[in-house]
Amino acid sequence: MTFELFLFYVFSAALLYAATMVITQRNSVHSALFLVLAFCCAAGVWLLAEAEFLAIVLILVYVGAVMVLFLFVVMMLDVDQASDRAGYMKYAPVGVLIAVVLAIELMLVVGPGNFGLDKFASPIPHAADYSNTKELGRVLYTVYMYPFELAAVILLVAIIAAIGLTLRKRPQTRYQDPAKQVQVKAADRVRIVKMATEKKWS
Amino acid sequence: MHFDSSTLIPVLPEIFILTMVCLIMIIDLFLDESQRQTTYLLTQISLAVTIFITLLVSSPETQVVFDGSYIRDPMSDGLKVFICIISMVAFVYSKEYLLKHDQFRGDFFVLGLFAILGMMVMVSSASFLSIYLGLELLSLSLYAMVAFDRDSKTGSEAAMKYFMLGAIASGMLLYGISMIYGATGHIGFSEVASAVATSGTDNTVLVFGLVFLVIGLAFKLGAVPFHMWMPDVYHGAPTPVAMFIGSAPKLAAFALAIRMLVDGLEGLHADWQGMLIILAVLSMALGNVVAIAQTNIKRMLAYSTISHVGFIMLGILAGTNEGYISSMFYAITYGIMAVCSFGIIIAFSRKGFEADQLDDYKGLHERSPWFALMMLFVMFSMAGVPPTVGFFAKLFVLDAVISVGLTNIALIAVFFSIIGVFYYIRIIKLMYFDKPVDDTPFEASIDTKVVLSVNGTSLLILGLFPASLLSICTAAFG
Amino acid sequence: MIALSDFLILSAILFSLSIAGIFINRKNIIILLMCVELMLLAVNINFIAFSHFLGDTVGQVFVFFILTVAAAEAAIGLAILIVVFRNRRTIDVEELNTLNG
Repeated sequence: MTFELFLFYVFSAALLYAATMVITQRNSVHSALFLVLAFCCAAGVWLLAEAEFLAIVLILVYVGAVMVLFLFVVMMLDVDQASDRAGYMKYAPVGVLIAVVLAIELMLVVGPGNFGLDKFASPIPHAADYSNTKELGRVLYTVYMYPFELAAVILLVAIIAAIGLTLRKRPQTRYQDPAKQVQVKAADRVRIVKMATEKKWS
Repeated sequence: MHFDSSTLIPVLPEIFILTMVCLIMIIDLFLDESQRQTTYLLTQISLAVTIFITLLVSSPETQVVFDGSYIRDPMSDGLKVFICIISMVAFVYSKEYLLKHDQFRGDFFVLGLFAILGMMVMVSSASFLSIYLGLELLSLSLYAMVAFDRDSKTGSEAAMKYFMLGAIASGMLLYGISMIYGATGHIGFSEVASAVATSGTDNTVLVFGLVFLVIGLAFKLGAVPFHMWMPDVYHGAPTPVAMFIGSAPKLAAFALAIRMLVDGLEGLHADWQGMLIILAVLSMALGNVVAIAQTNIKRMLAYSTISHVGFIMLGILAGTNEGYISSMFYAITYGIMAVCSFGIIIAFSRKGFEADQLDDYKGLHERSPWFALMMLFVMFSMAGVPPTVGFFAKLFVLDAVISVGLTNIALIAVFFSIIGVFYYIRIIKLMYFDKPVDDTPFEASIDTKVVLSVNGTSLLILGLFPASLLSICTAAFG
Repeated sequence: MIALSDFLILSAILFSLSIAGIFINRKNIIILLMCVELMLLAVNINFIAFSHFLGDTVGQVFVFFILTVAAAEAAIGLAILIVVFRNRRTIDVEELNTLNG
């Protein structure tokens, strides 16, 4: 067993453990934290497959942004975790059965029979000065320019949809309007009234 | 690497609509409530110009640009034009509904335009990557549109269900695509097709990928047994959104099936034909039978859609050009019928009254004979009664299926269509032979009335002269 | 040496786990969303493994786009979740039963 294979098994075992915990935890916060662990382990697996750029993106974007968003929403909604869990096990046998059948079928197809080392030899590792990022960037901005633009549009839609769905102005809440604040003139706020001086009481 | 700007010409419709949607979005920010009509007008003008540009850049030959990401061929031109026309009609009715219900907001039209862009991308994609991105652009816009009425409990619930099932479907589809990529080493449809041709058809990995691909496709099309979201979304979503989801995206779903299964995996026709037969027969059976039990017209239309989806798949599974032509004809016809049926529901609704119960249609003939006649055309067309266009759509599909020797399947289709006639005729009975329960005068703006009349009579006119529409479909698979 | 089948089996198990999760977690939409993320992670492992063994970058480019879309999807999903919660004060799937299709 080479060191790489050992690392692969360690990462895989941790990944599968984390994934199992994600789906069985009852507390959403725990689930989210286990999902973070799963992503970190997956990034390790991706590094072993020489996808360095994506491994780092997975950590930065997924763990750094998407999972934080998840945690933020979980905390914000303050879902009652202790709500009854009676129905929890109702679907579990069905789910486990389907998963086991599916896993066995999938493994028969993708197992060593079709994708073993004899069918797909392990590729020669790239030289130390090979840059995965440069290679991806090169095709991303040339060959895949059209999908790249589409991805930008999708992110724009996500922004519009998320704001459109969640932004609401409550009439009773008071808001600051910086534009109005800046445009205020002294004359709007202070009125100097000329008055005849009055005699002091003596 | 040399860039030639003439390669952008086939993509002009998409570029134009994207530019316009960004502009409209910014303009909408600066409009008062009273000027909101401007957003609507700009939307309609952009769609009209998009149709014009699509016709301008259309040609009989096929062009592939952006290194095999984008394809422009007669099929994509035809579908894009009809997607834009159907959406324009849908927006006319939507405006009516939104004004009646005080929900006239710009983001409805902006998200709608993004969804149309997504459909256009799907229709002219030449690789699994661009078709996936187009599909997501469409789906993400639709998820947000379903939750458009933020204070509606049913709307947000429908959006959540639609989102969850849509996301799972995308996952399935992607798993299938990853398998096909692994088996062939390519993601472009033409490269995949040639790889399939050389590797032979008894490749278990390819077939396995195909299974996941078809499951994902069935989810998106709404075929039984992956149809659970359809009735809930049609019922829960605001009527204009249900109309939008039920009409033009079905054309895009047709293109999704043709691009992936025919352009990419035609070599595996024997494998996907069997899967589609099961899905088509189940959809026609369940759709038509369950529709009978519905009392809500939106739910009824959802089940009716499921059965129509079965027919669209029937044409595709024939696997011949004749089959694809008939299927495209059916999809376009279905889009026109669906938008008209929802248009009538919207025309009869008013503030606080959705007109979505079957009983609301009692005595419609006495209240508005002309629009009862339009509804009659729609129902006859959906049921497949001659001389409406729906009859020819069904006839062409059945003809294509019989000509490849699947006579049994055609008989099953005819049997369930006859069952389906029952619930369409029931609405006609309610409209013409029952006493009205509600005498509120019929109110709709003049543009809705005109468009609705044209929309309804077009079903009859296309039925009397189906050759023009048929020639567009024939050109697509020349 | 790590074989391609090792990566694919890992991804297959992960995919099955996510499907099981969707069946088990009928009580909590947030965990359902996480199951979808796991599903996409399984797909991504597939693509990266194929890309590594086939020696081309297409698979990695595809993963790049899946990550982008998944982030957008998560944002919209959570936004819808907030709308549901504001309207109903619950995110329990079984209590979302106004519409029963």
